[in-house]
Amino acid sequence: MTNIIEIKELIKVFNDGRKNEVRALDGVSMGIPHGVVFSLLGPNGAGKTTLVKILLGISYPTSGSIELFGENFRNIQLKKRIGYLPENHKFPPYLTGEKLLKYIADLYGYRPANLDKRIAQMLEIVEMSKWSKTKIKNYSKGMMQRLGLAQAILHNPELIILDEPTDGVDPIGRKKIRDLILRLKAEGKTIFVNSHLLSEVEMISDSIAILNKGKVVYSGTVDELTTQKQIYEITLNREFDDYIKFKLEGFQVVDWKERKFRVKIGKESELQRIQQILQENNYLLLGLNQVKTSLENEFISLIEKTGNENE
Amino acid sequence: MSNVWTITKHTFREALSRKVFVTFFLITTFVLAILIAAVLAINLSNIFGPISMKLKIDGDFETKIFSVLKLFLISPLYSGGLFLAIFSSSSFIPTMLEKGNIELLLSKPIKRGELILGKYFGVTSMVFVNVAYAVLGFYFILGLRFHYWDVSFLITIATITFAFMVLYGLIILIGILTRSSLSAMMLTYLIFYVFSPLLAHREKAFYLIESKIIKGVLNVLYYIFPQTSDIGSITSAIALNKEIASYQPIFVSIVFIFLTIGAAIFIFNKKDY
Repeated sequence: MTNIIEIKELIKVFNDGRKNEVRALDGVSMGIPHGVVFSLLGPNGAGKTTLVKILLGISYPTSGSIELFGENFRNIQLKKRIGYLPENHKFPPYLTGEKLLKYIADLYGYRPANLDKRIAQMLEIVEMSKWSKTKIKNYSKGMMQRLGLAQAILHNPELIILDEPTDGVDPIGRKKIRDLILRLKAEGKTIFVNSHLLSEVEMISDSIAILNKGKVVYSGTVDELTTQKQIYEITLNREFDDYIKFKLEGFQVVDWKERKFRVKIGKESELQRIQQILQENNYLLLGLNQVKTSLENEFISLIEKTGNENE
Repeated sequence: MSNVWTITKHTFREALSRKVFVTFFLITTFVLAILIAAVLAINLSNIFGPISMKLKIDGDFETKIFSVLKLFLISPLYSGGLFLAIFSSSSFIPTMLEKGNIELLLSKPIKRGELILGKYFGVTSMVFVNVAYAVLGFYFILGLRFHYWDVSFLITIATITFAFMVLYGLIILIGILTRSSLSAMMLTYLIFYVFSPLLAHREKAFYLIESKIIKGVLNVLYYIFPQTSDIGSITSAIALNKEIASYQPIFVSIVFIFLTIGAAIFIFNKKDY
């Protein structure tokens, strides 16, 4: 099956007209399959928004190729299959929520027989029915964001691009947005999320890519990134004594803590040897787990590492 | 075309939401009310009779007064109405290009050229409605007072709107280039109130200028700049039932509209947002 988004060697150079060039994207390649929640992460100025804008034809690439739904992305009709929630969007303040959705439907050329019903349904999903006839200028930031989501999914798109979807939304609202994203995924939609909130990305994403200084520095699943394959945490039935510490001296134990210790393993045979030593000394092994770190920790270390490499 | 129509409709609605167009409508209503009071209460022949003699208008005394009145109404509408129209319309494009607005539009299956055309027709139709309201008001008040129904007077709706269309092409182009409503407004005022009238009367200045090069430059500039002063003269001629001296400003202005809108679309198509 082809990817819904296929990007190859994408380069975007901004020129300020004074011979100062900024490479916002520097050879970005990635593929995003159908029906997943994909998150694009990166520090400010990494090129995330530039990439999204290029996908949607808001900016133009300097070089490289992009395919959407297996076709050249320049085909304007493909936009009918994409829903988009921009960051810091400004909806016409003089329209009501309901009228905005009618306007957006017009812009998409989306005119089903039951449009009014569909609009009511979308407002219901984002819990905005109560304010459907209130002018947007009276909406709070959270309400604007929910309306933004409604307009992004109104025309039943296959690909939904959300730029900072939980920006300005309270924790309960965020939970609802996460649930909505997962519900859309269950319906077979592909969701492309651009977000700074790593903890949320961690909860919903099937795969992620991390951009730094215009380059993809990581592409894969959150699990692959946060699981430290070489470090194991071993839990015992009782506190260890100096003798067992002495017996394990040949291994790279990185942390001792009451009945637990962490050890860095080079070969699988080392793990078997440790288990054997523990058994010989009457220790019962209660747990053996690969150590996981948070996405935030891995993100920061990756950005620092690749930042230094690039400099 | 349906995309252009969608943007036109929405721009019209946006224009309605802006207070300045409502202000224009209220000012016109106020002027019409004053006009009604004036034609009922004042002996117009005392005021406009001597003026009509100076302007050498043909016809009987009533017709002369009628014509002068039309001119007195149309001239301020042309310069004042267009002043207000330029003021209120110069921010449409910079607002559209603002971060948060432009992403929403360009992410939709609409060509950039359609966006520009939709904005152009939307704002123009708003100005047309306001101008038509004023001219039709004048037409009916004067018609009821003088029992003289001069249908050709209604053509001024088209010429005043056309003058705006010429200027709005320029406003759009400057708006796309600078994203500044102030620049678009100031430059258009400069052209409408200074350059265009000066260039329209350049032949009078030729008596003082000997250099053929300067004369040539002024002639070239006359054809480059929008000829709104000449369109104003055509509007006055229509109001006075006089013969139009030349239709050339109309043709040159049509070319000007195509060039400015074409350039605006071309540049807009090339830009990153």
